[in-house]
Amino acid sequence: MLLTRLKAGGPAIAKQGILVAFIVFMIAFSLMSDRFLSADNIMSVFRQSAIIGVMAIGVTIVVIGGNLDLSVGSMLSFATVLVVDLHDKIGPELAIPVMIMATLCLGAINGFLIGILRLNSLIVTLGMLSAIQGLVLIYSGGQNVDIADQSGTWFAVFGRGAVFGIATPIIIFLGLALIFHVIMTTMPFGRRVHAVGGNPTASVFSGIPRSRIVFMTYLISALCVAIAAIILGSRVMGSQNNVGQGYELQVLAAVILGGTSLLGGSGSILRTVLGVLMLAFIQNGLILMGQPYYTQWLVTWAVIIVAVWLDVAAKRGRLFSPIA
Amino acid sequence: MRNSMRLLLASCGTLALAGAASADTVRIGITQNNVGIDSYQTTYERAFIEAADANPDVEVIVLDAGGDVARQISQMQDLIQQNVDAIIVWPTDGQALVPAVRNAHREGVPVIVTNSNIAEAGMDFIAAFSGPNNIQQGIYSAEMMCEALDGEGQIVQITGMPGYTTAIERQQGFDDRLAELCPGVTQLDIQPGDWNRERAQRTMETLLTRFDNIDGVYSGDDNMGVGALNAALAAGRAEGMVFIGATNFAVGYDAMERGEYWGSVYQSPVDDARAALQTALDVLAGEDVPKLNYFDTPKITQENMHEFDRPVF
Amino acid sequence: MANFTQIPLLRWLMRNPIWGFVLIVFIFFSLAADNFFSERNLMNIVVQTSTIGLIALGMTLVMINGNIDLSVGATLALAAAFAVDVQSWAAFATWGNWQILPAVCIALLVGILMGAINGFIVWKTGVDAFIVTLGAMLGIRGLVFVYTGEQSFYAMNFAYSDFSFMTIGPFPVLAVIFAVAVIAVHLLLSRTVHGRNTYAVGGNREAAVNAGIRVGPHMMINFMLIGFLAALSGVLLSTQMGAATPNLGRDYELWVITAVVLGGTKLTGGKGDIIGTLGGVLAIGILRNGMNLMQVPAFYVLVILGSILIAVLFLDKRFNRSADGGLRL
Repeated sequence: MLLTRLKAGGPAIAKQGILVAFIVFMIAFSLMSDRFLSADNIMSVFRQSAIIGVMAIGVTIVVIGGNLDLSVGSMLSFATVLVVDLHDKIGPELAIPVMIMATLCLGAINGFLIGILRLNSLIVTLGMLSAIQGLVLIYSGGQNVDIADQSGTWFAVFGRGAVFGIATPIIIFLGLALIFHVIMTTMPFGRRVHAVGGNPTASVFSGIPRSRIVFMTYLISALCVAIAAIILGSRVMGSQNNVGQGYELQVLAAVILGGTSLLGGSGSILRTVLGVLMLAFIQNGLILMGQPYYTQWLVTWAVIIVAVWLDVAAKRGRLFSPIA
Repeated sequence: MRNSMRLLLASCGTLALAGAASADTVRIGITQNNVGIDSYQTTYERAFIEAADANPDVEVIVLDAGGDVARQISQMQDLIQQNVDAIIVWPTDGQALVPAVRNAHREGVPVIVTNSNIAEAGMDFIAAFSGPNNIQQGIYSAEMMCEALDGEGQIVQITGMPGYTTAIERQQGFDDRLAELCPGVTQLDIQPGDWNRERAQRTMETLLTRFDNIDGVYSGDDNMGVGALNAALAAGRAEGMVFIGATNFAVGYDAMERGEYWGSVYQSPVDDARAALQTALDVLAGEDVPKLNYFDTPKITQENMHEFDRPVF
Repeated sequence: MANFTQIPLLRWLMRNPIWGFVLIVFIFFSLAADNFFSERNLMNIVVQTSTIGLIALGMTLVMINGNIDLSVGATLALAAAFAVDVQSWAAFATWGNWQILPAVCIALLVGILMGAINGFIVWKTGVDAFIVTLGAMLGIRGLVFVYTGEQSFYAMNFAYSDFSFMTIGPFPVLAVIFAVAVIAVHLLLSRTVHGRNTYAVGGNREAAVNAGIRVGPHMMINFMLIGFLAALSGVLLSTQMGAATPNLGRDYELWVITAVVLGGTKLTGGKGDIIGTLGGVLAIGILRNGMNLMQVPAFYVLVILGSILIAVLFLDKRFNRSADGGLRL
């Protein structure tokens, strides 16, 4: 039944594996915990997912361009430590631009090695993951950094503030997602990223400057990390040196869950947002149900595979792989 | 190409010269748990190196296991290889290090365990332990919690990184003592905060949604405790909620001063580091050193906090 | 340049630049670090390398297939937990030292099973191995915590941890096991039908299907092999610790992949060999050991390892380009 439906090209619903899974989960969780669908809880989950979410926007663009970025975890640690440390030294109005510039430099290094020198992105960003973590520790001497006057600084607005009753992190996250969604779907740059990721050789022949496009995707990724760091620094008002450790995989899981293909060339920012929210709701829902923390790892395992499977199955029109 | 080769050889030469040290000093190797994961360990390392530098007869080799047991075992082997006179180890895992310690013992290298102790099975093979008592810190926290709540209430607990000895012991000491001393206090849930303030904040936000009534929060350290406090403040529910941590951090000290944080356990990384080095030196001097050398980690509350300096981490 | 390539050794090094790198760091540390060049330290390096090295052997197979396995660190931890825990099962209480045997067997089977699950999912769903094993990396780690209840297990029997200190002649038993595994996988890859198929499937999957290779089961076998090798690595690591900890093997997948890529295996599949992989794991092992002996501060070790990784990748690309004149991904 399912099979024939998929074969028929599928109604729109089969192509939205992640959306279906998302809705199923929301219903299941709301049946098991009466607090799950409360306005407060939904707001709180959106707020919590903003940091991962903003990073995932940048990584989605990198992945559509046919590459990976595993360095975002360390880069987040770097950017957060920098902005928090500089906050008390030179004030937030200077700390923020300085941090953004420094983070963009790291992105430019990634972009240069992968875009211009054409080195493998998995290994380069893995190397950068280690190198940047070392840099953070050297910079801070391994000490935590804190903002002394937590209530008196306007820096608090990014992580703790609200506009019209909606928390700033949510506005930043969804706003950024919307902007980049528009860029990726309607602007020439977006089309070029898709082209470069989908078929690198053909894109070169059609005159698309592949090196520059890939370089740009890494700058965007770094910019997103910098924005995530502002939210994180402002929310916590302090930072540890390894605060972003492991975020690279959570971000990647969200991007994958959103149906972006690791082969490059296809993917959507809005569906990444769904992926991010889904992971956040799973985490939140399981705690609300009183499950031990490791349950979420098992559930995530199943969800990632099933969601991506449905997605892949819908694309090829049959449930099981044709591989003998 | 040739130039870089020459450069390489030249740097080799310099390093070889620097490596040759005089023979009458004692050489002590230390392998730490995970420097940089929190300020405590970093401050410990700095204090340790300072204390060693101040003593002209001591040369130290400082290594870091990065939280990886296997790497720590390798480092123990590397240290034995370098013929150090003693090894100080801050176990990434009290259980898994027993054979490595036993091996050092066999090779005649005395091992001093610092900060968190090795498992019972390894006690025969170490020269001494020096450090705080993590279980005792959990016990103190339970006693403070009990006192703060007058023996009645509902609390949640935020633990450190799951699967690591320090986190487990601080939880164990707390759980056991609380059940015994204060049966009227119930623990609603225990969730990990991974020694990470943001993570603790996120966990606490969810717990606040789940439970309408939380009277107290116990955290594996103040760093996470302040994360939980931030969550409660943002939700407007911090009033009357009791926050207690198992190790005092500067942020916790400040929050205590503001009256938002109830209490914690005072533990100085500087004392910890100095005690470890001194214990090692005593062992090497052939003195009769007791097996277990706990240094004092007193309770610190809003009332007595001014007897203590603000933690440097 | 042209006359250099006449000398066989140099030509070989040009083709396997990682071994040139191994040679350089080896000479460097021999000169720079006092205790580096000694029989015992070299044995230490081999033993330390064997943990990552065993998994890297399996990863080479999987990556030549055009797949990848990110779940190996978690599989290692799960196998280690079984190896230590099963020994204390009541069923084997009267077996004496023989209780180690069923424990190790079950641990290895668990590894093979995890590999089979990954391989089966990749085969049947057609989802990218990166995604399947990224999920498994979380999930299997979850199983470890479910099984251990987040506690460390330890072996009551000291015979278990004594095993890791045993020697065969002058060689530590762990180094011997690693050497045997290296030779076995090398022969498997270079002398058997399965080995040839491994290259064929990774090089051109359609051609492989047309040639009558059953690609799905073939890939599943390689996943089971890497599961077995990860479990073996976990068992050997747990003998060194006499214990198993739930966080064992975190990040190992990243170092394994790094080592294999340094060894010249292409992430896109179809190319690579065990000799190169051995060079890759030794390069990382020697760097870590040498920097420990030279007391490079931990923060700098991270930066140096990361930079060297990228530098070697860069040099590899240059060398390979000039050596065979073609473009390789």
